[in-house]
Amino acid sequence: MLDKKISRRRLLQSSSIVAASTLVAPSLIGRAAAAGVQLTVADPGGPFGPAFRAAFYDPFEKATGNKIVNVAREAEPTAQFKAMVDTKSYTWDVCTLTLSARDILAKQGLLEPIGFSHADAPQLMPQAINEFFMGTDVYSTVFAYRTDKVKKAPASWKDFFDVENFPGRRALRKNPIDTVEQALLADGVPLDKLYPLDVARAFKVLDKIKPHIAVWWTGGAQSTQLLQSGEVDLIPGWNARFQAAIDGGTPAKIVWNQGLYSIEGWSIPKGCPKADAARAFIKFCSQAQQQAIYTEKLAYGPTNLDAYKSIPADRAAHLPTSPQNLKQMAIANEDWWSANRSAVTEKFNSWLLA
Amino acid sequence: MTTTLDTMPVSRMRSRALHPYWLAAPGIVFLAIFFVYPVLKLMGLSVVGADNSFSLAAFSRIGHTDVYLRVLAVTFRISLDTAIYSLLLGYPLAYWLAGRPDRQRGKLLIFVTVPFWTSYLVKTFAWMIILGHTGVINTVGTQLGLFGQPLEILHNRTGVMIGMVHAMVPLAVMTMLPVMTSIDRRLVSAAQTLGATPVRAFWLVYFKLSLPGVTAAGLLIFISSLGFFIVPAFLGGRQDTMLAQLIITQVQEMLNWSFAGALSVLMVGTALVACLVYDKFFGLSTISGGTVRENKSWLRQVGLAILGGVAAAVDMIAKPFGRLLGGRHILSIVSWTIIAFLVLPTLLVIPLGFTSSSFLEFPPPGYSWQWFSTYFNSPVWISATVRSFGVAAATAVLATCVGGLAALALAYGRGRWSGPIFAFFLAPMIVPRIVIAVGMFYLFANLGLVASNIGLVIGHTVLAIPFTMVTVAATLKTYDTRLDQAAATLGANRLRTLFGVTMPLIKGGLVAALLIAFITSFDELTIAIFVSGGITTTLPKQMWDDMILQLNPTLAAVSVTVFVVVTSLLIIAERFRRSSSQNL
Repeated sequence: MLDKKISRRRLLQSSSIVAASTLVAPSLIGRAAAAGVQLTVADPGGPFGPAFRAAFYDPFEKATGNKIVNVAREAEPTAQFKAMVDTKSYTWDVCTLTLSARDILAKQGLLEPIGFSHADAPQLMPQAINEFFMGTDVYSTVFAYRTDKVKKAPASWKDFFDVENFPGRRALRKNPIDTVEQALLADGVPLDKLYPLDVARAFKVLDKIKPHIAVWWTGGAQSTQLLQSGEVDLIPGWNARFQAAIDGGTPAKIVWNQGLYSIEGWSIPKGCPKADAARAFIKFCSQAQQQAIYTEKLAYGPTNLDAYKSIPADRAAHLPTSPQNLKQMAIANEDWWSANRSAVTEKFNSWLLA
Repeated sequence: MTTTLDTMPVSRMRSRALHPYWLAAPGIVFLAIFFVYPVLKLMGLSVVGADNSFSLAAFSRIGHTDVYLRVLAVTFRISLDTAIYSLLLGYPLAYWLAGRPDRQRGKLLIFVTVPFWTSYLVKTFAWMIILGHTGVINTVGTQLGLFGQPLEILHNRTGVMIGMVHAMVPLAVMTMLPVMTSIDRRLVSAAQTLGATPVRAFWLVYFKLSLPGVTAAGLLIFISSLGFFIVPAFLGGRQDTMLAQLIITQVQEMLNWSFAGALSVLMVGTALVACLVYDKFFGLSTISGGTVRENKSWLRQVGLAILGGVAAAVDMIAKPFGRLLGGRHILSIVSWTIIAFLVLPTLLVIPLGFTSSSFLEFPPPGYSWQWFSTYFNSPVWISATVRSFGVAAATAVLATCVGGLAALALAYGRGRWSGPIFAFFLAPMIVPRIVIAVGMFYLFANLGLVASNIGLVIGHTVLAIPFTMVTVAATLKTYDTRLDQAAATLGANRLRTLFGVTMPLIKGGLVAALLIAFITSFDELTIAIFVSGGITTTLPKQMWDDMILQLNPTLAAVSVTVFVVVTSLLIIAERFRRSSSQNL
């Protein structure tokens, strides 16, 4: 049915000016009646769906009368995003992006301004908002270890890289991002002096641990599985993926010390016809009480730090932005990576093959 | 499609001058619009520089480091090994199946297709559970004292090979089987009567006659292996990176389509060279070249000489063994072992669907129906399931018609254009799927087909056409076109000949083509990610969305359900086929 409609539309479009006015009409109605809009929101999928529904979608529907349909987006949806904007077929109105995806897309002019700034939401972490993006959650790259296999508790990246004093099967991520930082931290570079990264030094450290790495993981779900099944005993990765295993009964512990955090959040594709409603939605998601709700189900950190006023202390201990965890960590520097990622990835891939 | 089927041969009848190559026309037009145009547009970006002018920067970047050529070498090596091992396992199995009585073969074939019906996403994770350090094999093995240390069979090349060969053996069997069943086994007996040893008779008569199936299967496996990315990512180790993974990274994460285009050109170019070399050795385009065209090129003679050598060598090795053990039993045992290997991951997935845990862990700590109730109570999952079945069915019919006609064109045509036409129909397999998917999105956006079922069917048909064409062509290779001439002499027109003679005789090939096209669509992820857009999701896309963050046993529950539905359908179809053949 949908296809028929569209092809008829296209026919009309090419045939007459009268048809053009009927084409414009729906978007005019959409703008006038801000209340009846249906927004398609692309979130990271999986457990995010129900958690964001409770925290953002349902309350927003109730508050505004608009409707939210949520779909899952790819881990790096930049290609879909670009294709969508280039062809003006907006299958999504709002989409979750990582900071690196945000910067790539912003550079190519594919993002729509979100319409408010840090001054309008002063409780937000300053890194969580810019012209095109409002962060909803903070994730942290940490490491976890199996408490049943690793007897002496490792407490830093130095310990993680120390295969003699902390024996156990190890994994690393098959990606230079975070891995290079981890090597430098292990070599004694202070957390606040990491960037610009000394890549040559990092590879010297990685050379030493290379023969001791049993698994090079490539996907988040895989990292959970590796820890949960006991395939490896020490593994770096994203905190919530490990928290899911721990919540499910895996005897493991997360080491927050020297963690690197980053932010995921909403952006709007450039030229989106429902941008106004999308902006209202994003603004709605900046509120502390909404963000606090998703932390019940997701071990991610709210970007609005006021949220911790209503989050129980035992839950806050598992969240990246709680005061006690945040102070042990630093934010990963996207600017450095966006300038160097291509070259370092090439070097890393070459190093892996050698 | 029905219009083409009806009108083509009729118009052919009116003007006898029309060349059989016209049968390939629908496919050529279809691929030109939905494949060549979007893909060329995207690959063309490889020569576009930052300032929109002509630039070879992307290619010189490939040249300035050896990493891409090395990854290419790894990709070829893995694909070649996969093809060889899949044929080594698939051949005895197909041979054994071909020798079973008809009704038994139908049932046994269901076992072979079992791994087909478990999504490759789920299969891959099942292998992780089976092969891991703390996995099923290592736990059982160390407890029984079979080996002291856990075996390193995951996260290295062994793991990749197990996963890839497992995925490809069904394709090998299904491509070779129709060819083998059409071989007259009395020829082997005749050779033995004339004094050949059983082994020599097998290699020089049966094996030679089955070669079209073997070469077709080898090619299909080799080329489709080139594009794998999930298996090496999850089952591989440090050095097991395949080119498709790098292309996906460039498309998705770096948004560097110029470089992705250049890498795709590299991949397509080398794959084409590989096809040409393959053709020289094994007479690839003769798969489609009708029955009795002898190729006299020296390279082909080398190929045949190798075959003769193999026959002699195996004969020497096999003689003492053959005396020790009864030959027939060995074949049954080997075949059942291969079947066990094929069904193993699926057998593991069944209990995982009923687990009480929220992880895919084996053995399950307890049992519950919760994941089935999650599945059946989710409108998203159910609509994705229904859509996948519908889209796959439509794809199977469309791709078999278009690919089958192309195969007929090549079988009847036999001119110097056969090679290029054959290569053209294979092209959708060689081009990385992500490149097709992105290119298609732009085209579909202009046609209003984004997020539509029709768009999905078109996209999946493009991917399935090479498989259907090769499968039907391999069957036609052993088909005696003189039967058509006989029918024509007796007064049948082309259409009547096609439906009354040709199609019934190549039925096995058509059924195999339908099944392979169905599963190509049913298990397809990349096109679905781009074309389905979000709300219209397919089963693999829904599974992928669900497992991006966390694997949960809903995937296993879905797999079990699909498995039960498909197996019941196949059994019913088998019953129906048998009763209808009894009535004849």
